Amino acid sequence: MSSHREAPEISKDPVADSTDVYAFVSPDKPDTVTLIANYIPLQGPAGGPNFYSFGDDVLYEIHIDNGGNGQDNITYAFHFQTKLRDPNTFLYNVGPILTLDSANWNSRQFYNVTRIQHGKSVMIGQNLPCPPCNIGPLSTPHYADLANQAVHGIADGIKVFAGQRAEGFYVDLGSIFDLADLRPFQKLHEQYGMHVFSKNMAGVNATAELNVHSIAMQIPTNELVRPGKHGEADAASVIGVWTTASRQQVTVWDEWKGENVNSGPFRQVSRLGNPLFNEVLIPLGSKDLWNSLPPKDDKRFAPYVAHPGLAELLPLLYPGVFPKLAALVKAGTARADLEAILLTGIPSGVVKGFQNYTGPTQSDMLRLNTAIKPSKKPNALGVIGGDLAGFPNGRRVFDDVVTIELRAIAGVTVPLVDPKYTPDAAAGLITDGLTAKSVPGGYLSHFPYLGVPHSGYSTPS
Amino acid sequence: MSSQSHPEPAAGPSRRSMLRGASAVGAVGIAAAVGVGSASGIAAAATKPAADNRTAVDNRTASVEHSADAAPLVVYLRNAASGELDIFSGTSRTVVVDPELAARLTRAAR
Repeated sequence: MSSHREAPEISKDPVADSTDVYAFVSPDKPDTVTLIANYIPLQGPAGGPNFYSFGDDVLYEIHIDNGGNGQDNITYAFHFQTKLRDPNTFLYNVGPILTLDSANWNSRQFYNVTRIQHGKSVMIGQNLPCPPCNIGPLSTPHYADLANQAVHGIADGIKVFAGQRAEGFYVDLGSIFDLADLRPFQKLHEQYGMHVFSKNMAGVNATAELNVHSIAMQIPTNELVRPGKHGEADAASVIGVWTTASRQQVTVWDEWKGENVNSGPFRQVSRLGNPLFNEVLIPLGSKDLWNSLPPKDDKRFAPYVAHPGLAELLPLLYPGVFPKLAALVKAGTARADLEAILLTGIPSGVVKGFQNYTGPTQSDMLRLNTAIKPSKKPNALGVIGGDLAGFPNGRRVFDDVVTIELRAIAGVTVPLVDPKYTPDAAAGLITDGLTAKSVPGGYLSHFPYLGVPHSGYSTPS
Repeated sequence: MSSQSHPEPAAGPSRRSMLRGASAVGAVGIAAAVGVGSASGIAAAATKPAADNRTAVDNRTASVEHSADAAPLVVYLRNAASGELDIFSGTSRTVVVDPELAARLTRAAR
């Protein structure tokens, strides 16, 4: 998936697991940028009695590089604290929760927001309540209204929300990790001689009706870019975005207290910039290391981008379908197209009217050109679909990043750097068979954009 | 649910309270040992953690309030042969090189 359970260590620590990052110019407020950091993957909505919450012992951060060197110039840090009204009941709530200060709500969570910039930490939001999880019609009867109460205006003209949302990322996980037998093309898969598939099928969204926890911010653009007014062609209009989660180095189970005791400095255990970067490109033995490092150190991982393993596999798994990709791999050609898309941004002159280049420092970040206006008719295939406001120009909640990256790896973006190369016909068609319409409940047209979480009572229905 | 849990009598000194007392003694012992090391000049070997290429997040923990006095102290003997220890407290880590202390801790752990 985008980055759900993508590395061995973090797959065992879901509370700290960064799953998706989104960065886009807010379509309904284009003088702002919306940043969303998701954590805690694959939440079954009926998660009681201990419904999902952020980790009180985890440091969550959203980083912004506006200097083009893979290092953060601005960081927003989030610290959470859970408070029980009554530790002597087993219940999350003892009646309907209609407001965030409801006396019926037992297990509540609050958070502080700190901005770190120019070496100074400033708390810009304090003791902000999260909404409860969406439990069901008796406990959370007016959930959308309740969650709206948890959209807070804080310092610097920033809006913030932290709490449960419907998973907006869609992927046919079951097929992709069954040896890449993409259902719409599975007849063409070599099937290891087993002849399992006699017909093609529609994709199945593995994340349908699951929830996730989101930290969402809507920030005036001028708070994020370097001072001044910048046009689409200006390097200063581009920001790099990534998220992290960190834990203190030592955890000891205190059997006398019956809880973990943490000690030591916080160290990064999860990182996410471009979707699927660690998941698909980084080999298993390096994924945990990658999660612990900052983007500025990504040069060491650049060979995995230049020579992606999936590009080698596709011609083998789909014999005769990707002959040009096979030739490219056989020639050992470094994929400068993928290096540009994922590690440096696309310079001016490659895609007409577009650039999100941050300089030569190779670093995995979502790169958003903040001067490019939101699309009136968005295309979920983003830049390869002719929509310059979508991935890899940042990432919107509905962007079909699985299809975009499958096609890019299959060779559809090679002509950006080698106009003589003609991709395989299949490269422009390959997909896991899903679209944004595969997301039950869809998305919101306003902040925080990800949909109302599925309720435990009605899911699975 | 834990299959390891066992009910304890409500009255009288429990196994748990006895162990809690023992644990407190152990903690004092370690703290005293660190003090001895400092007094003998080994504190000069105490260093801040070596800079590494991990993302430094120490300066981003301003809103995590820890009282250094109240926080537990955890000692990690990283290399018994060289006497290299990490001492964790609050949100800090201090590296101490003290072969004598390392040897005493090793003996105590047996």
